[in-house]
Amino acid sequence: MIRYEIGIVETRNVIKSILDTYGYDFRDYALTSFKRRLEQVIMNNGFKDADGLISRLSGNKDYFDLFLQEITPETTEMFRDPSLWRTIRDEILPDLMKGGPSKPKLWVSAFDSGEELYSLAIILKEAGLLPEVQLYTSAISDKVIDKIKSGRIDAKELEVNEANYLRFIGKRNFSDYYKNENGQTILDTSLIHGVNFIKLNTVYDSAPGGIKLILFRNQMIYYNQILQDKVMYQLSNSVVPGGYLAIGVKETLENTNTSNKFTVFNDLDKIYKKKTT
Amino acid sequence: MNYKAVIIGGSAGSFQVITRILHSLPPTFPLPVLLSLHRLKHIRSGFVEALSIKASIPIVEPFDKEQIKPGRAYLAPANYHMFIELGNKIALSTEESVNHSRPSIDLSFITAAQVYREKLVGIILSGANRDGAYGLKKIKDLGGTVIVQDPSECQVKTMTEASLKMTNVDHILSTQEIIKFLQNIKTTAP
Repeated sequence: MIRYEIGIVETRNVIKSILDTYGYDFRDYALTSFKRRLEQVIMNNGFKDADGLISRLSGNKDYFDLFLQEITPETTEMFRDPSLWRTIRDEILPDLMKGGPSKPKLWVSAFDSGEELYSLAIILKEAGLLPEVQLYTSAISDKVIDKIKSGRIDAKELEVNEANYLRFIGKRNFSDYYKNENGQTILDTSLIHGVNFIKLNTVYDSAPGGIKLILFRNQMIYYNQILQDKVMYQLSNSVVPGGYLAIGVKETLENTNTSNKFTVFNDLDKIYKKKTT
Repeated sequence: MNYKAVIIGGSAGSFQVITRILHSLPPTFPLPVLLSLHRLKHIRSGFVEALSIKASIPIVEPFDKEQIKPGRAYLAPANYHMFIELGNKIALSTEESVNHSRPSIDLSFITAAQVYREKLVGIILSGANRDGAYGLKKIKDLGGTVIVQDPSECQVKTMTEASLKMTNVDHILSTQEIIKFLQNIKTTAP
């Protein structure tokens, strides 16, 4: 493994150029992982260096959209942390369905590459609730939205997805949810038929409201403390009192300024419940 | 040299070695010990408990952005990469596997090397793939001290031999000698 590496100054130059040209603010992304993603983008595209990337980005909106896809880490696994999905199925969904006549809103708010959304859709379908809820998902790039809609997933992840589904103990066979076409694995796109796609920028300043369940797993790890606070503030306003927020199992709200708005619902799977007062 | 951190990478055959090392460190060990070990990714609990049974310093599976403190061992959590972030913090990542591994020893070592530079000790133990070899080279390139467990003592030699091939290491040591090295380590702490 020989890697191309860039320095911190070059990393900041790229960030500044993107902010100036497109208004997307990556200044408060965690430096180590963002720098690593940039190195990956530079290598994969055959750019000479950070300046090569900057000049490609300037005045090329199409490439910028692709860049947004490349810079955002993929989720890489369906049913990651199977116990979380069991908790959602067995404890949270029944609670969500209690309220009034309007359909509860569920939001996959991390910049998912589709895995979290399809996992959620599958458990809803198995519970017979898919038509009874409103699903939202957010993405940073149009290309990611197209990819999710196409249902195409990386075939090498299939084994992991299948193993996770088995541990989750679903009602059917995982193979019921995908087909193979010319060596390409394609998920059943009817699962996400009614999903509302929301395009968001890095600071989540146009988040939807009235949400009963937010999945925001393993995205704060790519932020520094400042951005964690900013985005958590937006999300805490999106979720209704008594609603749920799931973050990654190795993330915590403890160090954010919104922790006092939530109580811990399930510590092992890092699910929080918004206080009612 | 006054060191600021020790980072250890291992895979198949390293569990007993790590256990012996953690058992033999003085409870007042003056540095953080960063552990990037290959492990079953779907089993989240049990590993830190197993390592803790005989350890003389506390072992934690850090949360993201946890501050790194001396006298503690930090075990890379299952199914996450563990980076060392500027400001002496842990940063986790769910990015794709590297060398078929998440956590990847290479990624932990490279990021630790960039933060601690010459004040880092990197140690590669027994293991069944090449993950860690490049990371160890980065530590050496940035002035750190690098140690490889004597392959003749390793249950699986692939990882140590790959590391020796890539880097002119400072020491090739048995487990007992690694322990001795760590017990005598000098630090910047008062």
